[in-house]
Amino acid sequence: MPGSALLSAIAETAINRVLALDEDSQARLLPLNGKRLTLYIDQFPHALTLVFSQRVDVLTELLEHSELVAQLDENSCCIRTSLEVLPKLTQTSQLTQLIRQGELHLDGDLHIAQHTAALFGQLDIDPQEWLSHYTGDVIAHQAGQTLAGFKTQIANALARSRAGISNALTEEKPIGVGKLAVMHFNDEVDALRDDVQRFEARLNALNNEQ
Amino acid sequence: MSDANTPSGTSDTQATPTTQQTHFGFKQVDKAQKASLVANVFDSVAAKYDVMNDLMSLGIHRLWKRYALDCSGVRAGHKVLDIAGGTGDLTAKFSRMVGPGGSVTLADINLSMLKVGRDKLRDKGLVGNIDYVQADAESLPFSDNSFDVVTMAFGLRNVTEKQNALNSIYRVLKPGGRLLVLEFSKPASQHLSKIYDIYSFHILPRMGQIVANDEESYRYLAESIRMHPDQETLKGMFEQAGFEQCDYTNLTGGIVALHRGYKF
Repeated sequence: MPGSALLSAIAETAINRVLALDEDSQARLLPLNGKRLTLYIDQFPHALTLVFSQRVDVLTELLEHSELVAQLDENSCCIRTSLEVLPKLTQTSQLTQLIRQGELHLDGDLHIAQHTAALFGQLDIDPQEWLSHYTGDVIAHQAGQTLAGFKTQIANALARSRAGISNALTEEKPIGVGKLAVMHFNDEVDALRDDVQRFEARLNALNNEQ
Repeated sequence: MSDANTPSGTSDTQATPTTQQTHFGFKQVDKAQKASLVANVFDSVAAKYDVMNDLMSLGIHRLWKRYALDCSGVRAGHKVLDIAGGTGDLTAKFSRMVGPGGSVTLADINLSMLKVGRDKLRDKGLVGNIDYVQADAESLPFSDNSFDVVTMAFGLRNVTEKQNALNSIYRVLKPGGRLLVLEFSKPASQHLSKIYDIYSFHILPRMGQIVANDEESYRYLAESIRMHPDQETLKGMFEQAGFEQCDYTNLTGGIVALHRGYKF
């Protein structure tokens, strides 16, 4: 069984589940109805095609990039990019800049790419709302509060770490002892230890003579 | 899987002792009788068809169909014919893939299956670009060169004269169009074949009895799979019908194969 079919099935399920959590996503899907966007990612062997309707169907694209580009119509768009650039695609305003920088190759209708970026970039998911369907409002609210508390604590811990590192780099490092000074100090300690050992040996020898 | 059962016609003369007889599972029956026997099977399983498919294939039939969709090359505006479309799994996807400018025809010889499929698709809100046609795959009621893509998933082995069905499909395909046949086939490995036999003849009919209260239909399913032409034979039949660039892909070790052919 081609693994690509399994991966596209997982991607399709995940995308539609996530979109279902944001009730405004249907409105953002409207301008994409009947359109398709194909995404070639350099690191992946197969491209994925997103077919938009009231939902998003994900297909594995078996055509090579050049073959697909030759077949593009007014309802299609094809993007070729790398994995690192993928997160930036959710910001509609960056698309043109990415194309100019050569990090993104786009063929077909730019509006499809922009609407797709908006579809995912403007996702507004309320986890409490989702959880309340399964647990009821009270438990969902409490879970949300607990989660928010954890989130704040983690954010505070990260902020403290950042401040500590920043302080170490800007304040302590300049007045700290340099590597060469430490090496010289260590050499001096070694020399002193050798002197003490020699002195101790000399004393023992003198004591034995008496 | 019961998916495997979508009917569309009737027999194969190749393995029959006389030209008036054909196989129905491992039994020999009159050709004229097979269509109604197959119809009985599908009338019986239609209501539990999807549940049994998931249960018997552990959901893998969805991946087989998804692979067929990936290979279909269907684009917006295309006209697609889904023969033996059963409860409409492929049709649902095709409907969204072709968009409002295209059309999908769900054809099945069995009215019960067609009704289940129509209800299911309408419940999903899929209306407008789907037509439902009760049709025999051997004599498709469509004009020549009508469709860009024709698919037949788990239906061909129920057809009485498979070669006639392939000829008929060739006729209705547009030049440049492609046919995809997803069907049970012969496992490539002997070990897998033995395990598969145990599953098909011992476990599957019992599951049919427990879930759908119909052991016989699922015994027929297992038997009809064994009577179906293997990968190379079916490829030869494609070529005989006039298809070009014919090839096939084994899925799940050859338990299922996807055959492709083009009309130029």
